[in-house]
Amino acid sequence: MNNSDEHAVVVESLIKDYGSLRAVNDVSFTVARGGVFAFLGPNGAGKTTTVEIIETIRRPTSGRVRVLGMDVSRHKNEILARIGVLPQGFCSFDRITVGESIRYYSRLFRRGAADVDSLLDITELRNTRDVLFKDLSGGLKQRLGIAIALVNDPEVVFLDEPTTGLDPHARRGVWDVLRGLKRRGRTVFLTTHYMEEAELLADTVAIISKGRIVASGSPDELIDRHAPFLCLTLRRVGEGTIAVIRRMGFEPVGDARGGVSLRVKHADNVQEILRAIGTAGKPLPGLEVRRPTLEEVYLELTDGKMPDGVCVPGGAA
Amino acid sequence: MTPRIVGANLLVRLKTLSRQRSAMFFTIAFPVILVLVFGAIFTKTEQMNFDLPVQDLDQSSASARLVEGLRAGGVFNTTAVPPDTDAVAYARDKHLTLLLIIPRAFGEAQSRRLDGRDTGAASVLTYVYDPSSTSVATKIQYLASTVDAVNHRMTGSRPFITLAERSILTKSYRFVEFFVPGIIAMAVMTSSLSGALNANAELRQKGILRKLATTPITRADWLLSNVLYQMILAAASTTCILLVAYAVFDVRPRCNMWLPLHIVLAVFVFVGIGMLLTPIAREAESASAAANALLFPMMFLSGTFFPVEMMPGFLRHVARGLPLFYVNEGLRASMVFGDDATSLRCAAVTGVVAVVVFIAGAVVTRWDREA
Repeated sequence: MNNSDEHAVVVESLIKDYGSLRAVNDVSFTVARGGVFAFLGPNGAGKTTTVEIIETIRRPTSGRVRVLGMDVSRHKNEILARIGVLPQGFCSFDRITVGESIRYYSRLFRRGAADVDSLLDITELRNTRDVLFKDLSGGLKQRLGIAIALVNDPEVVFLDEPTTGLDPHARRGVWDVLRGLKRRGRTVFLTTHYMEEAELLADTVAIISKGRIVASGSPDELIDRHAPFLCLTLRRVGEGTIAVIRRMGFEPVGDARGGVSLRVKHADNVQEILRAIGTAGKPLPGLEVRRPTLEEVYLELTDGKMPDGVCVPGGAA
Repeated sequence: MTPRIVGANLLVRLKTLSRQRSAMFFTIAFPVILVLVFGAIFTKTEQMNFDLPVQDLDQSSASARLVEGLRAGGVFNTTAVPPDTDAVAYARDKHLTLLLIIPRAFGEAQSRRLDGRDTGAASVLTYVYDPSSTSVATKIQYLASTVDAVNHRMTGSRPFITLAERSILTKSYRFVEFFVPGIIAMAVMTSSLSGALNANAELRQKGILRKLATTPITRADWLLSNVLYQMILAAASTTCILLVAYAVFDVRPRCNMWLPLHIVLAVFVFVGIGMLLTPIAREAESASAAANALLFPMMFLSGTFFPVEMMPGFLRHVARGLPLFYVNEGLRASMVFGDDATSLRCAAVTGVVAVVVFIAGAVVTRWDREA
């Protein structure tokens, strides 16, 4: 099996300059066919530029980008026919209905309209078929964007921040649609700010910061590699208890609910802490032990780094 | 270029228009309303009629004949001003723009002159006027010519020099007949220029162009669908204008092959200008301002509402540099005068401008994100 059979997207040594500014600096990664790939990074990291080069709407300064085995610089039309794109902040024609929007975009791709009903089912939009785009909620607009990204039955679907600005219910609605795409075997290239989303949906993650890929792998691999510790949260602890923990060499940090959070290397450390608190005659607090989240890895690897020894209070958002 | 894509794009634009009442109003109804309003105003101008308050200080039969003479021309409706009031204060209080005073001893002076007792006898009529009024100059001109005519009738003398008219046109035309082609040109310009500019800016701002860039639609598909859309609007708007002008003012212009030719060329010119402005005016708000900054001067300087000959010399040169001038002239030449030579000359100028601006506009219209 060669690279193009195995990988939907191959990016090699990609560089993109805007004048004297290097937005993308020697970026390389691959996206396996049939999986969900999450591309993460802070604003201005070069995320959107990279995605737009892969989508063929920006030209690379140098490097090689292949989508479905085709070079983006030479096979723009062939690639566009086989990919679907939900751009960031997707918007359609205000006074065109959901059904009409899907038909319009499908006619741009091929003769005969796409199976509108099936796309409405996939994106759970059947009840809004005759609703004008301007009257849709944010979540429904994003789902329509996903339906439109599927009108040409694409092999790779690019979703740029599909849940940004949505309320928790609408976000979960979009996640259900993405899970459905994954079940159907589509390759999904997901760009997101929400680490929980990436952790929940992605098979592979790449984190870009300041134009460079700083980590890639599955969410579990990234957590194991970059956050090899446990997060211990103790609830309602007094000053005496905190002093006991400090004497053991840990650095607890208080939270807004009268508790503290700290990092420990092993589960054994938790037992040692509880034993020391008991020995000191202090009441045993309520506790929570959890694995670090992808968000904590992300913060470690990008500029939003947390102080040493601290887990994000309460875990990822 | 793919007809299926052009058709899909055209359909979306037409559906959007049909569901947008304000756009429908400005595209179709607004030019029709202009025809109705200006047609009504200037139809009345052809039978111009002013109120003229007259203070008759003489109260003689001669002064009464003078007042009758002023009314006889049909231009003035005279009303009496009490002789014992201060005419200036009266005019100011009543917000009058023009008031005529017939002096005391007017009748006596006239009698002396007519019976030869005093051949140098004369009488001075004073008019009180408001110089800030925009219409008073016209009234004074009419008053002067009416008084002149009454003067000749009263004294019985026959002027040595008189004017006789001979029109270069085979028939006499009403203002509204000249106005209708101008409004058609204006409607095509407004719709095409602001339509192309605003639609592109709005679609870019909303990110729809970003989405379209990831579909197989090409620049040629996009431009052709835009031009076809504007042509449909221009045809609808022109038809409405002509129907209303015929139904209300009985305007029957010549509608031959020149009419669609001028309209098609005008659509290319103004869509091209709109496309040229798109990279400059990237947001919908600035696009609207940019469109207005071009539309209004062109509308007023190109002879849409009044003849270019009424403008100062340098503005006449400016007018001849504006594409709308040639669309106006071409449409009037074909629709009003049946002047094929002028129509052809104007179509040639518009055609050259259309080729240049449309190609330039197409070059600056970019799909990808490098624009």
